[in-house]
Formats: sequence, structure tokens, C-alpha cells
Amino acid sequence: MSATPSGAWPVASKRVWPVEKRPRGAYWRDHARVLASTLSHLSRRFATTLWVWVMIGIALALPAALYLLESNLVRIAGEWRENPGFSVYFAPGVSMDQPRALVGRLESLAEIDGVWLTTPEDALAEFRGLTGVGEALALLDDNPLPASVRATVTADVSSARLSTLAEEAAGASGVDEVVVERSWLERLAAIRGVVGRLSWSLAGILGLGAILISSAAVRLAIEARLKEARVLTLVGAGGRYVRRPFLYLGAAYGLGGALIAAMSISALLILLEEPLVRLFGSYGRDLELTGFDPMFHLMLLASGAVLGILGAVVASVQRLRRLNTAS
Amino acid sequence: MGIEFHHVVKRFENGSVALSDVSMTIPEGSLTFLTGHSGAGKTTFLNLLLRLEKPTGGRILVNGVDIATLRRRHLPAYRRYLGMVFQDGQLLEERTVFGNVAVPLHVVGMTARDAGRRVRAALESVGLLPKAALLPAQLSAGERQRLVIARAVVNRPKILLADEPTGNLDPTLSKAVMGLFHRFRGVGVTVIVASHDMALVGTMGSRVVELEHGRVVGDTERGMAGG
Repeated sequence: MSATPSGAWPVASKRVWPVEKRPRGAYWRDHARVLASTLSHLSRRFATTLWVWVMIGIALALPAALYLLESNLVRIAGEWRENPGFSVYFAPGVSMDQPRALVGRLESLAEIDGVWLTTPEDALAEFRGLTGVGEALALLDDNPLPASVRATVTADVSSARLSTLAEEAAGASGVDEVVVERSWLERLAAIRGVVGRLSWSLAGILGLGAILISSAAVRLAIEARLKEARVLTLVGAGGRYVRRPFLYLGAAYGLGGALIAAMSISALLILLEEPLVRLFGSYGRDLELTGFDPMFHLMLLASGAVLGILGAVVASVQRLRRLNTAS
Repeated sequence: MGIEFHHVVKRFENGSVALSDVSMTIPEGSLTFLTGHSGAGKTTFLNLLLRLEKPTGGRILVNGVDIATLRRRHLPAYRRYLGMVFQDGQLLEERTVFGNVAVPLHVVGMTARDAGRRVRAALESVGLLPKAALLPAQLSAGERQRLVIARAVVNRPKILLADEPTGNLDPTLSKAVMGLFHRFRGVGVTVIVASHDMALVGTMGSRVVELEHGRVVGDTERGMAGG
């Protein structure tokens, strides 16, 4: 063999060492083999695996739970926003003529969508039902609860006009206090904003944490199988073939972590269910949590798998890149 | 596949020179022994052929192509044409004898049935078929070395490289292992064996290239001792 007539040496190309076409189904056989070896690896080192799953699970659970909280706050705020209004509380012992007069006046206004009168007796019955302290209340000579009127305005009423209507109601005879629901909603919106940003910030920080946990765990697996990776490289395996078992391992760590996160959130919701039912009941509403649905679980699992794989990519790029050298 | 070294130099980053102006042609289907003391450059010679190292000077042509120009993505295809018997065996201890030999066939995506047939044939050729279900730790030193050879040849390489394949073996086993290399040469494989055991190599009846401090100091064709 010698240089070509032009003096240049021939350079390598695929034609010189042609790659034999892989047999039919080889790709899937590779994946099946890697899947089996990954499951075997996880079961043989189950204590370590569980440890990694729990750490990744904690990292995923917090932002996921905050995301759920935020999406429910959005829904609650949205539902309340459809019926903005105000509640007028009368002084205890005021004659019922005054609340009824206010009801009549409010109903005559076009901006008012609905008006509800709650007598002191109704309020007491409701209070008994919600708090379970009915027997204690029976010891009192007088009903300490006032009459109240709740009014909702139509959707086109501005926040400023709502405040004016509330101020006018506050000027009625016998009124002790007026509470505008809009201001509560504004606080809720502010809380929602904080929770939302916290959720995304924690998702970023703890997501990075999940990547690092997966990376560290996969790195240990690479160290344990470095000789195998080296042998594979020297018998003609490509980079993807050598990295694939570790990417599967990263995905398994991430998926397991996501499952732990989903289970943690479920446990948390079970713990919170009773006080939440009571809280929602105090606002005359049923507890209806949204977001904890199959799509949420799917997204959680996908996020876990992606973060796990990213960790595995980081570890394998760092550790396997020198396999093609003698050192 | 023929191999040509043209004024090959390998100098490491620390300044030491492993090979210095090495030129030789190794014809296709030949058996060549590289000898020399430790540090003579034998392993570097094999590492250059495996493309684990690139020469700092000169050209190495395999099948007429300068392998230094191989792109990283073409290395796997090139290496599938090579078989390597490592100095330290590089056996996968948690896999059985059968599993170790099957590794190169998994890489090329062979079906379990075809791979099984090939693995059995390779184990048969080195006399290890009865021990296919054992783990490498359950084998003797000579059997382990034959296992490494079976793995190196299972994918029918065009070039077989062996680095100190008889390092841990007694003289009888060493001769048996060397005999295997003769057999592979006989079926058209280009075999290069690096060994510091000059006495053994001298009796094998093949070309012997002697290296010293990275230079070729001898290149002779020897007859087989004792017939």
C-alpha cells in the first residue's frame, strides 16, 4: 500500500470498514436486554435504589405539591371572582326591620346580582353545624350572633364601584361592619402569586437537585461497570450502546422518585382532607381539589424520568468520554 | 487485512518516546510476534492499532487506510474488524463463560439463536464448551486465557491482537495458547502477538519483530522448533 498518485494518503471512510446491517429486531433486542439488566441491577441493590428514589421523590414532591396548591388557588379565585360582593353585619340586637330595609334597597339596584338575608337564628344554626359547639351555645341566655346581609354584584361592576356600594351599605342604620370579598380575593391572588413563583423556583432548584442525585447514583453504577463499558467499546460498541444501560438506570431512578413523590402527595392530601373539608364548609363550599388527576401523574412521572435521564447523561458524559483512549 | 507502519512515532505528553520511526509491513493472514523487554513499545504498538492512541508522527495504514483519520463515529465499525486479547484478560466476572463470549455478538445485534451457535463454536475451538455455564472465577489461569481468546475471535475478526497472552501461564499452557494463534492465522486472520517471552516466541515458527526502546532492532522469520 502506498500514497495515491496525488501524494495524499487515503483517509478512512465507511466504505473501508462497512458496518454490517444489523439483523431485524436488533434495536428492540438491545433495549429488552438493557431493560432486563436495569431491573436486575435495581433489585440487586434495592436498599441503594430505595434511598435514591426517596431523595428524588422528596425533591419532586415539594414543587409538585406547591403546583397543586397554586392551581387550586387559581380555581378558587376564579370561582369567587364570578360572584364578587360584600357582607353587611348588623349590631347584635338590632331589629330585623333594618336588615330587611337594606335588602329591599339593594335589590332595587341594577348592579346587584343577588341578596341573601341571614337572621341571627340562621347564623346560630349554621355556627352550630360547623363548629360542633352547640351545647356550649345553649348555655348562653342570648344569641350573640348578628343578622347579616350578603350581596353579590354583576360581573361588570368595577372594584371601585363595589367599594362605593359597600360604603353606602355601611351607612345604613344598625350596621356594625361591612366586609368586601374583593379585598379577600386580592389577598388570595397575592398569595397565589407567591405560591406560583415559589413553586417554579423550587422546581428549578430541586429539579437540579434531582439531576445531581441521579447523576451521583448513576456515576456509582458506571464505576462498578467501567470494565464492562471498556470491553464493549473495544469490541466495537458505539457510544449510544455503551451509555444506554446508564440512561435506563437514570430513567428508573427518576420514575421511582416520581412515584414516591406522587405517593407522598397522596398521603399529604389524606392528612389534610378533614381540615380542608371544614375550611371549605365554613365558606359554604364542598371540598373539590383539582389537578391531582392522571395528567398530573403523567407529567410528574415524565418530569422524573427526564430529570433522571439528564443526571445519567451528565454522569456518563463525564465518566465515559475517555473510554476511547488508552488511559 | 494488511497493516503498514510508515515511520511511526509515538511521543507522550510527558516527553517519553514509546515508538520511534517504526516502519514495517504486516501482510494479511500472517502471524507476527512482537518481542522486547518491558517498556520496549509493544503495548503502544497494539494501542495504536486499536486506535486507543494516535501516532504523533508517521502513518498507520490498515486495509490501505490511515486509521488516524478515523472519526470517532467510525471507530466502532473499525473495531468490529479487530479482536483483542488483553494483557489482564478484562473478563466480566459476573457473567458466565458463555455470557463473556457473547458480548461482541450482542453489540452487533445478533439474535440469541445465531449468537448461541457462534459462541458454542468459539468455545469449542478453545476447548471450553463444557465450562460454558461457569463463572470466570471458577476457571484456571489457562482456561481464563482461552476464554479471552474465544471472546476475541467470536465475531470473526480480520485482525487479532494479543498483548502478553501467556503472561500468567506455565510453558505447556503457553505453547497451547500460541498454537491457537497459529490456527487463526491458518484461516486468514492477521495475528499480532506481543510477548516478552523471547524463548517461547523463538520456538513458534513465525516472523518475530524485536523492539527496544521503541525502535525495531530485529525482524526475522523463524522456523518452528521441534517440528
